[in-house]
Parts: sequence; structure tokens; C-alpha cells
Amino acid sequence: MGRAGTPVVTVPPLRVVVADDDGDIRLLVGIAVRKAGLDLVASAHDGDDAWALVIGMAPDLVVADVSMPGMTGLDLCRLVRAEPALSATRVVLLSAAVDDASRQAGLDAGATDYLIKPFSPRELADRLVQLATHIEARL
Amino acid sequence: MNIARIAGRLATEHPSALLKQSPTTLFVAVAAVIVLLAPQLVTSFVATVVGIAAIGIATVAAVLVTTRPELVRFALLVPAIDFVAIGFLRYGTGDSASIFSALLILPVIWFAAEEGREHIWFAFVGTAVVLLFPSVAGQSDSSTLSALSRAVFASAVFTVAAAVINELSRQARRRLHAVRSLAEERQSALETSERRAAELAAREAQLRGAQRLFQGLWGAVTQQAVIGTDVTGLIDAWNPGAVNMLRLTADQVEDKLHVDAFHLSGELEDRARELNYPAGATVLNPGFSALVEQARLGCAEVREWTYLRGDGTRLPVELSVTARLDDDGETVGYLFVAHDRTRAHEVAKLKDDFVGLISHELRTPLSSILGYLELMRDDDDDELTPTQLQYLGVAERNAHRLLTLVGDLLFTAQVESGKFNLETHMQSMAPIVSAAVDSAQPAAAKAGVNLTAQVGGDGLVRGDSVRLGQACDNLISNAIKFTPSGGNVTVATSFESNRVVVSVSDTGMGIASSELDKLFSRFFRATTATRNAVPGVGLGLTITKAIVTAHGGEMSVASEEGVGTKFSMALPAERVRV
Repeated sequence: MGRAGTPVVTVPPLRVVVADDDGDIRLLVGIAVRKAGLDLVASAHDGDDAWALVIGMAPDLVVADVSMPGMTGLDLCRLVRAEPALSATRVVLLSAAVDDASRQAGLDAGATDYLIKPFSPRELADRLVQLATHIEARL
Repeated sequence: MNIARIAGRLATEHPSALLKQSPTTLFVAVAAVIVLLAPQLVTSFVATVVGIAAIGIATVAAVLVTTRPELVRFALLVPAIDFVAIGFLRYGTGDSASIFSALLILPVIWFAAEEGREHIWFAFVGTAVVLLFPSVAGQSDSSTLSALSRAVFASAVFTVAAAVINELSRQARRRLHAVRSLAEERQSALETSERRAAELAAREAQLRGAQRLFQGLWGAVTQQAVIGTDVTGLIDAWNPGAVNMLRLTADQVEDKLHVDAFHLSGELEDRARELNYPAGATVLNPGFSALVEQARLGCAEVREWTYLRGDGTRLPVELSVTARLDDDGETVGYLFVAHDRTRAHEVAKLKDDFVGLISHELRTPLSSILGYLELMRDDDDDELTPTQLQYLGVAERNAHRLLTLVGDLLFTAQVESGKFNLETHMQSMAPIVSAAVDSAQPAAAKAGVNLTAQVGGDGLVRGDSVRLGQACDNLISNAIKFTPSGGNVTVATSFESNRVVVSVSDTGMGIASSELDKLFSRFFRATTATRNAVPGVGLGLTITKAIVTAHGGEMSVASEEGVGTKFSMALPAERVRV
């Protein structure tokens, strides 16, 4: 299972939706999700598409880019947080912005975690494992 | 009467010795003719000839005294000789019966007219000698009591006459002096008046020149709005720049509108709140007062505001406000000079956009490159050959170089746009320096450079440990890059004068002294760097200096080409108490 370690997630794995306008990044995030032993249920190439998927599928986790055409990752995060039906859904934001203000804006929007690009797939997988463990512990 | 005419008058009022002697010479010449025509008048031929000859001598002396200024102090010798000469002439032509006795009046007048009462006595003595000498000497045939009495009486009359003449001369001189003083005063006043008139004319010309210059400048300033107001803010001056910027003519605003009418009320209220103006009527016009607060206190203020044009559109401006003072230094109004900041704001936005572009468009592909390279390296199912791993390492190293460059560009842009924030807390510098040295050891070993740390004095610095570490990393990696294999790089710390100094010295190729002042400029690369193909883009030192400056510190550099370089950063610090 690589350096992300052996997944500790039990069946059924947590369901994840990935949203990024860059196809290569979507694929990379998808690999990290699978390395973490999670279930990649859908991918979206923009914010609006992502919202439609999230509201329809109510996934356990959303990994979204901040800068996307149309609805941004921040907007998506706020919508998720404002939707009672998605109260259990956690959002991890990915951003190319390195400044602290951008990070704080992401956390203020309700993101559970905030990773700066370029990110290590290994580190992302580790974070997702930690997050999944945390979520399952609360179930 | 001008000074030249007065001078002419003075010349005749102070006649020359020759002029004074002229009547005596003339009358003695006439006497000589009379004696020649009537020889029976002569009682002593020798005395007569001596007398006439002596007058000749006196006349020659008068000529000399007149023509030789250095002899002027001997001028009174001339009438003295005259006395003697007339004495001989009188004696030779009948003594007391001589028809030439009256000639005595001429030297008497001369003496008497001289300044000073002592000359009366000179006249008396001269007269007495001439009149009494023959009687006293017994040479006269008329040495009788009556002749003696006549001589004494005549001497007394001459002396009194001399006294009268002397007094009249004295008064005349005094009047002349007074007149001359008045004339001089008048002339001086005239000259002063003429000089002042000339100065006034020159100043008027200067004033006209200054007015022309001011009018030219006033008309030429078309890109900045210059607005003058009285103390209440009522506009009384409106330049062409203001016309362009605010799209209203001078006629539409002067003496009609207040300057705060062109400001957003919200901005004025915010400023009034900043200044802690109390709510209510304690300030007559809070908006205008907020606008001129600093200028009213005597400080010129430059601040960004938003102008509201006559047509309702808005304009960002940088506004300088200064007080207008009268001759007594009292504020009589204010001057507002506004510079359009639209372009500057556009540039700032472009810069922000550029930063965003770098962030997203460069860092996102780098995410893919580095991420997939990592996946290849971590692929347990399909392990790579050593050669493939070597190629992968090259790709990863260069991707990280690119990432560092992007980070440096981003950081530089943040510094320039003022969005460079520090997360500061008090911390010791020694661990930061040690960590930087430790992390640079692999690179130093690879380059064959001996990297040593001499952590001596330490200090507590209020700073951002990440940024300070970045500054240390930059200096150390630079030193390693610029030092040939076998050289030394020494990192030292010391505490001096409430500052902790971190210095990085190398035995590298050094920097030309002519380039030292450009080292911290963006994208500057030293000649030694380009000549020796040392990799880099010239941002490291710019960033290092920005970090040090943001911490209130200073950077310095000393270098000698071919010998080495020493960079030092001095940061404000507190001594570490053990």
C-alpha cells in the first residue's frame, strides 16, 4: 500500500468526491484517495458540477481546488457547511495560494483541512487516512 | 543745488595762496611804478628795493604753495613775508609818511580770514612789527612820541579789524558748513531715494517675473489638481488640473463650493472616527476638519482619498494637504494637491493578478510534475532501475528548482505589494542558525566545501522563524555556491549593541567592489557569478534583505575579489539571559 501505510478503514470505506479544473490533479488526488483506502465516488471539473454531485451524493469527504471556474472551492465549502443534509460531509481544500490569509479564508469557509500546491500525494493520502480515522471514530 | 555746484562754491570760498597774494603783488607792482615815476618818494633806496624783492619772493612762495599740495601747510609764510616786505617798502618810502602803509591791510586780512582766533594775534604782531620796528630801532627820523602813538593806534585798529574779519569769517564758515551739511544730507537722501527706486523697480520686475512663472506653472499643471481654500474650506483657487480631474470649471466652484463636497462622506466620517472626533456639534464641519486635521497642526499630510466628480463618477487620488499662512504665520486657508492614482491602482491590480497567475498557473503544473514523479518513485509494484531512479532524481531536482524560483518570485511580488506578513514571536537566533547550517551540510559536502558554525553570542529576536531561517538558508547556500571545492564557509553569531549579528563568510570568488551596492537589487547577478556559471536568478539577496529589513535589521557586505565575501545581518535583539 506504499508509504501511506496500511489502511485502517473498514468496510464500507468513506465516500469521496474530488473537484479540480485540472484533469491531471484530479487524477493525482484520485490516486491519493485510493491509496488512503477511500472510495472515490465522483470527480468534478468545476465548482458548479461539484456542488451538483455533492448535494446529490452526500459524500463523507470532498477534496476540492480553491480556484475553479464558476463556483470556487471556498463557495462550495460554504454551501456544504450551510446545508443541514451535509453536516457530516468534510471538505479538504487544495490551493496554489501560499499566503496565510488565503489559508485562513479556507478554514473560515468551513474547510477541515487546507493543503498548498504542490502537494505530495503521499502526504495527502496520510492526511485523508487521519481524517477518515477521525470521522469513523465519531460515528 | 547739486554737490558739484557746492564744490565749485567751496573752491572760491577757500581761495588759493596765489589768489590771496595777487592783490598784494598787484599793488606792490603799482607802488614800484609810482616809485619809478616819483623817485622823490624814496627815502631809502635799499629798503624799497628789498621790500619790492621780498614781495616777489612771497609771490613765488605763493605759487609754490598753490602748485605743490605738500607745501600747503607753509601757506601762512606768504603773508608773513608780505608783512616784512611791506615793512621795508614802507620804511623805504617815508616810514610813517609812506603812502604805501595801507598795503598792510592785505596780509592782515589774509591772517584774519584764517580759521582760529590765534591768527588775530599773528596779524597784530605782524602789524606792530612793521609799524613800530623803525621807531623802536631808532632808524626812523620820526621817532617821536606822536609817531609811536600813531603806530600803536594803527596797530590796534588793524588788530580790531582783523578780529572783526576773523569773526565774520568764522560765522561765514559755520554757515557754509551748515549749508554744506544740508546739501550733503540732501544729496545723500537723493541718492538713497534713487537707489530705493532702482531696488523697487528691480523687485517689481522680479515680482512680475515670479507672477509670470507662477501663472505659467499654474496653467502647466494639468495632471494634478491644485485647489486652494479659505479656513472654512470654501474654494478660492482651482487650477486647470482640477478642471480636468473633477470636470468643473473655476467659475463653477470658486467662492461657491466647499472642498469636502468632492469627497465621499463615508471616507470623511471614517477619518473623523480615526481622529476620535466626538459626535455632535463640537466640530463645525467634521468632514472638512478631518481632511485638514494634520495640516492644521502644521504637518503636511499625504493620504489616499476618493474624489467624487461633478458627474458623479469616482476617482482614487493621493491628496497632499498643507496650510496657507499669512505674514504672521497664521493659517488663512489650505492647499490641496491631488494626484490621480487610477493608473497606480491598475498597476497594483495587475501585480496582484500576476501574483495570482504565478500562484495558479505555475504551481498547479508543478503539482502534477512533482506528484507524478513521487508516484513513480513510490510505485512498489513496478520498481525502477538505478538509471531510471537517477533520471527521476534529475527531474525532481529541477522541478524543485523551478518551485523555489516560483516561490522567490511570489515572495518578491508580495514584498513589493506590501502583502508580506510576518508571524513574529520572541525566539533565540542560535537554533535557527544551527538548523540552517545543518540543513546545508549535505550541499556543502557535495560541493567539497567545509561548512562550520561558530555560534557565539546569541540574542532573543522578535521575528518570524520561517523567514529568518529562509534568510540564513539563502546566505549559506549562496556562500557554498560561490566557494570552490576545498574552500571554507563559516557561519558565526555574536551579540553587540542590542543586536544579534549573523555573519556568513566564505573563501570564494568574491565580488567586484563596483558591484557591491547593486547586490540587493532584483535580478542583479555579480560578474563573478555569470563568469563562473553559478546558477541563480538574482532574487536570493533581494529576499534576504527584505526579510532582514522587515525585522528592523540591516544587511551589510564586505568582499574582495578572489579572496572571499562576508555577508552580515544585524537584527534588533535582547541578550539571552543564562
